[in-house]
Order: sequence, then C-alpha cells, then structure tokens
Amino acid sequence: MRRRPIRHALKRRLFAAGIYAALLGMAAAFLFPLLWVLGLSFKTRLQVYAVPPLFVWKPTLENYIAVLRNGDFVQAFVNSLVIASGAVLLSLCIGVPTAYAMARFPFRGRSFLFFTLLVMRMLPPIAVLIPMYVLFSRLGLSTTRFSVVLAYTTFSLPLVVWIMRGIFEELPRELEESAWVDGASRYAAFGRVALPLIRPALVAATILCLQLAWNDFLFAAVLTDNATKTLPVLMAAYSGSDTGVDWGGMTASGILVVIPVIVFSFLAQRHLVAGLSAGAVKG
Amino acid sequence: MAKKLTQTRRRFLGSALATGTSLAARPARAQSKPDKLVFVGDNGMWHDCLYKVVAPDFQKQTGIRVDFTALPVDGLTARLQAELNGSGTGIDIVQWTGSYAGWLTPHMEDHEKLLAAAASRHPDFDWDDFMPSIRGMATWDGKLSGIPYRVTTGIFHYQKALLEQVGFNKPPETFAELQQAAIACTKAGAPVNRYGLGYMGRQGSAMSDGFCSYMRSNGGDYYDPKTWEIFVNQPPAVEALQFYGDLLTKYHCVVPDSLTWEWNETIAGGQNDRFAMVETLSPYGSLFNDSKASRTAGKWAWSVVPGGKSLAQSRTYFGGWSLGVPKGGKNQEWAFEFILMACSKKYMRRSMLLDNAPPRLSILNDPEMVAKYGWAPVAAQALRTAVLDPRDAIWATMELQLRTGISAVLLGEKSAKAALDQVASDWQRSIRRAGLK
Amino acid sequence: MAQAGIVQRREGVPTGVTVPALQRAHRWLDGQFTLVATLPTTVLMLAVFGIPLLISLYLSLEGWNVSQALFGGRFVGAENYHDLLTDPDFISSLLLTLSYTIVVVASEMALGLGLALMLNVDLPFIGLFRTALVVPMMMTPVVAAFCWRLLLDPTNGVIDYWIGRHIVWLGQPATAQMSVGVVNVWQNAPYVAILLLAGLRSLPSEPLEAASIDGANRLQTFWHVTLPLLRPYFVVALLLRTIFEFRAFDNVYVMTSGGPASATMLLSMYTYLASFQQFDLSLGAAASWFMLVISLLLCLLFIATIRRRSTV
Repeated sequence: MRRRPIRHALKRRLFAAGIYAALLGMAAAFLFPLLWVLGLSFKTRLQVYAVPPLFVWKPTLENYIAVLRNGDFVQAFVNSLVIASGAVLLSLCIGVPTAYAMARFPFRGRSFLFFTLLVMRMLPPIAVLIPMYVLFSRLGLSTTRFSVVLAYTTFSLPLVVWIMRGIFEELPRELEESAWVDGASRYAAFGRVALPLIRPALVAATILCLQLAWNDFLFAAVLTDNATKTLPVLMAAYSGSDTGVDWGGMTASGILVVIPVIVFSFLAQRHLVAGLSAGAVKG
Repeated sequence: MAKKLTQTRRRFLGSALATGTSLAARPARAQSKPDKLVFVGDNGMWHDCLYKVVAPDFQKQTGIRVDFTALPVDGLTARLQAELNGSGTGIDIVQWTGSYAGWLTPHMEDHEKLLAAAASRHPDFDWDDFMPSIRGMATWDGKLSGIPYRVTTGIFHYQKALLEQVGFNKPPETFAELQQAAIACTKAGAPVNRYGLGYMGRQGSAMSDGFCSYMRSNGGDYYDPKTWEIFVNQPPAVEALQFYGDLLTKYHCVVPDSLTWEWNETIAGGQNDRFAMVETLSPYGSLFNDSKASRTAGKWAWSVVPGGKSLAQSRTYFGGWSLGVPKGGKNQEWAFEFILMACSKKYMRRSMLLDNAPPRLSILNDPEMVAKYGWAPVAAQALRTAVLDPRDAIWATMELQLRTGISAVLLGEKSAKAALDQVASDWQRSIRRAGLK
Repeated sequence: MAQAGIVQRREGVPTGVTVPALQRAHRWLDGQFTLVATLPTTVLMLAVFGIPLLISLYLSLEGWNVSQALFGGRFVGAENYHDLLTDPDFISSLLLTLSYTIVVVASEMALGLGLALMLNVDLPFIGLFRTALVVPMMMTPVVAAFCWRLLLDPTNGVIDYWIGRHIVWLGQPATAQMSVGVVNVWQNAPYVAILLLAGLRSLPSEPLEAASIDGANRLQTFWHVTLPLLRPYFVVALLLRTIFEFRAFDNVYVMTSGGPASATMLLSMYTYLASFQQFDLSLGAAASWFMLVISLLLCLLFIATIRRRSTV
C-alpha cells in the first residue's frame, strides 16, 4: 500500500512526535520527586525550608561528604548489595523451576502448593516479624546477613512462582516437546529451551524482587546488628524522632541508595523488551 | 555400694566446685573485659555527646569500644521487644522511654543495687542531683530500671521583640492573655505569613503533648491510674481543649499548616519564623536559637506555660530517655560503668552543649548554662511541678483514642465536649476489655 | 510428559553399547524433576515462613500481656478477633481500606496499561524512558514519602507554590486521602507497567498479523486480540497490586500517621499501631490474620469476576 507515501510518512512522524511528547510528560511527572530529592541533597537546611521554594540556589556538597564520611555507609552498602543479590538469586533459582514444574507437569498437590504460597504471601509481613526473629535466634542466625536473605526470599518466592507459572503456561509446548523427542532431559528442556524464551518475564521478576530486597526496613532493622545492617536501616538514622529530620543526610543517602538500582534497571530493561524472535516460533 | 560411692563423689565434686568459685570470687569487676559494648537507642540528634565524646573517652580509659545502633522509635520498640523477650540478649545498654516501662522494666536490672555497688568507685556521682520526680521517670513498680539521661518538658517559647511590639512586656500568664497575644501577633505578622501560635497538630505521637500542657494548666487530667476514674471529659479538660481548638478554628491565630506538624515541623516552623509563640519541648529552645539553621536565631525567650486563670495554675508534662542495663546482658558491670560515665556531671554538662537536655538540677541552674541556654532554668522550674505522662500498658491504646478526639476538634468537626465524651467512652471500653475495672 | 514409552537416544553414545546403570540413573533423575524443582521452595517456605506463620496464628489466639514471654499468655481462642470486630475503629478502618484499595488499584491498572502501551514502541531513546519509569518504585519508599511530604507542604512545598493556593494537603481529611492515594499510584503504576510491558513484548506476532490482514484497525486489534492475549499478565498484576495495596503502609506512616481525624487510618496502620504502639502483639497478629482473610476474599472475587467475563 504505497499510495501517498509522503502523507503516510508525515502521519508516522506526527505519531512519533506525539508519543515523545507524552513520554516526556510522563517521565517528568514520574521523575520530578526524584529530581527534587536530588536538589534537596545539595541544599543546606536553611535552603530546604526557604519560602518560596528555591529552584536556583548555591549548591553544597556538605551532605554527601557527611554521609560518606559516616564510616558505616560503605559497609551498609556492601551488606545491602550482598543481601539483595542473594535474595534475588535464591528466589529465582528455586522459584522459577518450581513455576515451570507447576505449569508443565500435573503432580499431586500442585494446586495445594500454589494456593498455599499465595495465601502465605497475603499475610502482612509484620505478623511474622517477631516470630521470625525468635526462629532465627534459636537457629543461631540472628544478626547474620543470611537470615535477612532467607526472610526476603520467602517474601519473593510466591511472587516469582506466581508470575512465572502464568508465563510458562502461556508458552507453547511444541518446542520443549520436540526437545524431549530429540532426547533431551526435562532439565535440559527447561534450561535450554524454555528459559531463554521467557527472558522478559525473568527480568520483570528480578526487578520486582530487587525492589523488595533493596528497600525493606523493618525486617532489616530487627534481624541485623551494626555490622550487618543494610542501607535502609542506616538511612533511618536520618529521619529523626523528636529532633528533626536531617534532610541533607536523608536525601544525600537516598540518592546514593537509588543510583545502583537505576543503573541496574537501565541495564535490565534492555532484556525486558527482548521479545520472541520469529525464528524460534517457527521452530 | 556403687551408689554410695557416686553420692560421695558428687558431694565431693560439689564442695570442690564451691570452694573453687569462692576462691575465684573477686569483688566488683569480676567479669572479663569485653572488647565491645552494644548500645541500642533511638536516632534523635542529641546523641552526639555519646558518640563523639563519651564513647571515645570510655575507650581510652577502658579499651572497650561502644557500638551504637540508632533506630527510629518504632524500629527501636520492635527490636527491644524481639530481643528482650527472648532468652539472653546481645544488647548491653538499652535506651528506653517512659512509655515502655510496663513491659520493659521486668527485663531490666535493679539499678538501685547497681548504684549501691558502684558508690565506692564513683563517690561524686551525686544521685540527689536528680529530682525525685525525674528518678520516678526511670522507676516502675518500685524498681529503678535505668538512669535518666535526657528529660524534656513542655515550656513556652516566644519571640520577645514580637510580643513587645503588641504590648506584652512580659509573657502571657493566663489563657485570656495568651489569646489576646496570639490574635495581636497574627495581625501584626500577616504581611510575612507569620501567625501567633504554632501547634503540634498532626495525628501522631506529638499530638497529645501538644495539648497536654494546655490541659494540665487548666487543672485537667487524664485519669486516675488507681481507681480508673476518667477525668478527661470533665470541665477543666474540656475547657482547655475548646480553648485549644478555638484558637485555630475560630480565631485563626494558629498556623494552619500545624495540622501536619509533628516534632520536626514545629522545630522548622520556629526556625523559619512561622509563629511568634509555641508550647513545646524545652530543648527546642536551642534549635530555635541556632544561628546556623534558624532565621530567628537570638530572638527567643522562655517562660513556663500560661495557666488557665493564673500563673500559679501553670502545669506541664515531662518525659524523656533513660539508659539501663538489661537483665540478660552479658557485660553488666562494664555497661553500667559506661552509663555512669555518660550520666556523670562532667559529661552531662558536655552533652548539653551538644543538644541534649540533661536532667541534673545542678547543670540546669549552672550560671554558664543559664547564660547560654535561656530555657534551662525555665525547664528546671517547670520540672518541679511537671506531671509524668501515664505509663500503664493500656495508656498506649487510650492515647491513640485521645488523638482521634483532639484531631476532630482541631479540624472543627466536633466540639471539645462531644469529642472528649467519645474519648471517655472509648477509654471505658478499653479499660473494661483489659479487665482492669 | 510423554516419556514413558519413548526410547531416548543419547548423543555420543553409539547404538549397541548400553550403559544401563547410567541411563537408569538419568531416567530416574529425570522422573524426579518435579520433586527436585519444587522441593527447595517447599522446604524454604515451610521452614522460614511457615513456622513463624504458625507462631503468629497462635499469638492471635493468645491473650497476651506485653510483660509476658512470647508464649506465656493464656489461650483465649477467638477473643482477639471478637475484640477487633466490636471495635468501631477497626470496622471503619476496614471499610476505608476496602474502598481505598479498589480506587487505587483501578487507577494503577489503568495508568500502568497506558504506560506499558506507550513504552512498547520502538522509537530511539525509548530505553531511557523505560528506565525513568522504574525510578518511582525503586526509590526507597520512606525517602519518597518524605519527599512528597515536603512537596505537599503548604509553605515550603512546590505544589502549593505552583498552583498558587495555600491548601494544607495532609491536614484535611479529603485532601489527605487523595494525596496518599496519588503517591501510591505514582509509586506503583510502574509495577503494573513493567509486568504488562513484559507481556506486550512477549506476544506472539501471528495473531496480530492475522488481525491486520483481516482488515482490523488498531483499536479493534487492541481490544479483541492484544488484550485477551495480555490477560494472564493482567490478572497477575491485578492480584499482586490488590494484595499489596490492601496492606499499603509506608506512605501512610510517613505522610499522615493515620490522620487527620483517622481519615487515612488504613488497616496496616491500625495493625502497626496495635503491635508497636500498644505493644499488643496478639491483637496485631489477629488484625494481620484478618487482613489475610480479607485479601483472600478480594482476590477470589476478582478471579471470579474475570473468569465470568471471559466466558461471556
């Protein structure tokens, strides 16, 4: 249909421009608070409370210096990194196979297991906070990073299983069946055929697990001590009780904490949008 | 025969053990020295003295490092509940506040005993420097469970020049005068968006204290902890709440933003010249006058809160934080040494320079401190008659119900009488359900 | 699943040479796939979550006094639940949370779908926009909530500055509810968008091609082909968001603490106050279990509704 190619090209360009405009608007709306926090991190307390709010001011680095000079910051950063990656990896490694098994092979107790996982997820975590602490201290794991990894994994697992099971169910079986016929084991079929096809969903699940593990405060506060504490626990020191919020400390540390996840998300979103290539579907 | 031998052996071993331990027993610091002490407290910004002065000096003297964990209040509660309810704890020093008394103190050591044991080593600790009411703050059910470290009380902060401008050469002494001053200051401050009064009006942990000083100064009270008779909906408290609410909803002389203000925003409000007067915690006086952070630095003066009909009626609340040694702690003696050091005259004085509000009378009345911190003698004066907030376990529930009532009045949704009647009936229900009456 | 009768040829093993033991081991291991795949999950969840869950259930049936050890209270059965149901504050909190959840989840789904569609295009620099989308949900919730609190401040905040009016957003019941809701949607619409975007990118191309060959325009394709194919992702997102919004906590805690006049006293806030302000872990546990039951009912309701609509 190559009638009136010029008008067609113009329509397409207008469409693109419209999309860009909408995207810019959306990005502005979603990013504005982050940008504001960024701005706050370069302001002194007096500048934060200026009336009317300052859009142009003389920036200061004192907040970042104070936060980084805090000896615990680097340690907390490392702890957060270790715990978050541990929780995410563990959740994916044991959750995705479970989801696959549930989707592909009807086994006894499949629905029951699935239902139980869901119901467990519906219990507000606050209810298990102190019992979990008691359990871990009986096991001798209290104040270790491992206990926090375990706790976060139990929160992410139902999520992973749930999301991935739905994804696997929608995946056509032909590819795997042809792999089985070719002599591959179920493990190989899972790992080499099914897994690469659901990459976008894997990335989505990773991001959602990461969000939970990176930002949780309550469990980290109770299950860690000073040596193993995570970033949210460290940052809590800035939100003051009856003596005022340390805006500089909170926003500077907030920015330092969110940068790694933004970088990770940027790298990951490329995989998020890798779709099924036509070749695999044709088989 | 064998049994007899076994018994003899057991008895022999038993006595040998006893002799051995008595030989090994040494007075006082028999505990082996740990390499660190774990201190769990909240994240208020007044800990600088502990972090930067006391802990390093303690380490120099004893070689023990102090490991601080600073949590926001709810995190602290969760952590303490989790750890102290279990068996044995890794915490050596607990920072706790009055409202924890009911559930925390059974897990704490008897500090009278600890003080007595340490008396010979620290002759100039001067326990009498702590007023009886302040010592009561760390006492529950007859047991002293900590040493008070920070004591705050509600006093009246005002910008002297602004009051003089509207004809008040001394601070208002009665509710009527307060109303007059507030209305006048609001009118005078209209061009710069400054109101007469600020409130801690958010439905959060500061709300009750925001109202409490008004209530007590009018002769009101919450309830009798022994008979559970409820006073909060009696005329004195109702009048006070109506007065409190009217200033905001009827006379508009309170910053409207106050409905979102808790501790932090009130500090910011004072520093940013949003109001001329406020009834709030005593040490905020330093923050209002802090030239690095406050636009109104140097303009503030202090007095006790206005009384309902006369200054003699002026009453206020007080509370604060104590440092204590838990029963399950492993290094009790060393932990108590640290506490004694932190609470000694020398270091408490230093702490006041670093934003703390120490409870020692000698410090609050020290001429140098008075000159530097005008609020100190006022706090000392207020503390003589200040009333501790209730500490029964049920008070936590009742306080939440009280907040709803106060909030309704501040929003203009209910009259004080209606709101407090509802609060009283909620309290009745809670008391009944807890089986206390 | 059709392994039973099929002879599996292994590459590299010349026909005629049998390695029976190895083959049998392989086959056995292969048959155990479901066990191997599901055992770790089961064990971990039961041990690390299941035990505390049972403890919490027991706590909710205990008449516990805060000065006792964790298991030291007397067994009181359903008394805690009865206390909750007869507490007017709990009931009003429950109703508020239900209506709040429905409104916020609906907004998140709608906005999330729109975002996903917008980000599904293959224009240059789209990667940057997709990253920007993820930011709100990756920011530490407490920091984001504090920031919003500052933005909504009548005096120091930017929002009132721009609209020129002095509205005390968090000080009046209606505006407070709206503010908390908006911040929740802001934070979590990206969650939905990510899930739906993954779905959109995984759609097989044939049905869409078939539709355009059949002459359907974009809108018709979207409604009759894309949406139905997206349904599993949609359902997952809907259920997840319902569960999470029902117990939304961080924003309420930081922005309003449940006020003003309890206008934003969501169930999560109520439970939190019960556990850590009133020091009544039994009541908090009972309230949590209540929330679990209600969440479950809500989800079943949603599933039933969707299933009914799809059969129509």
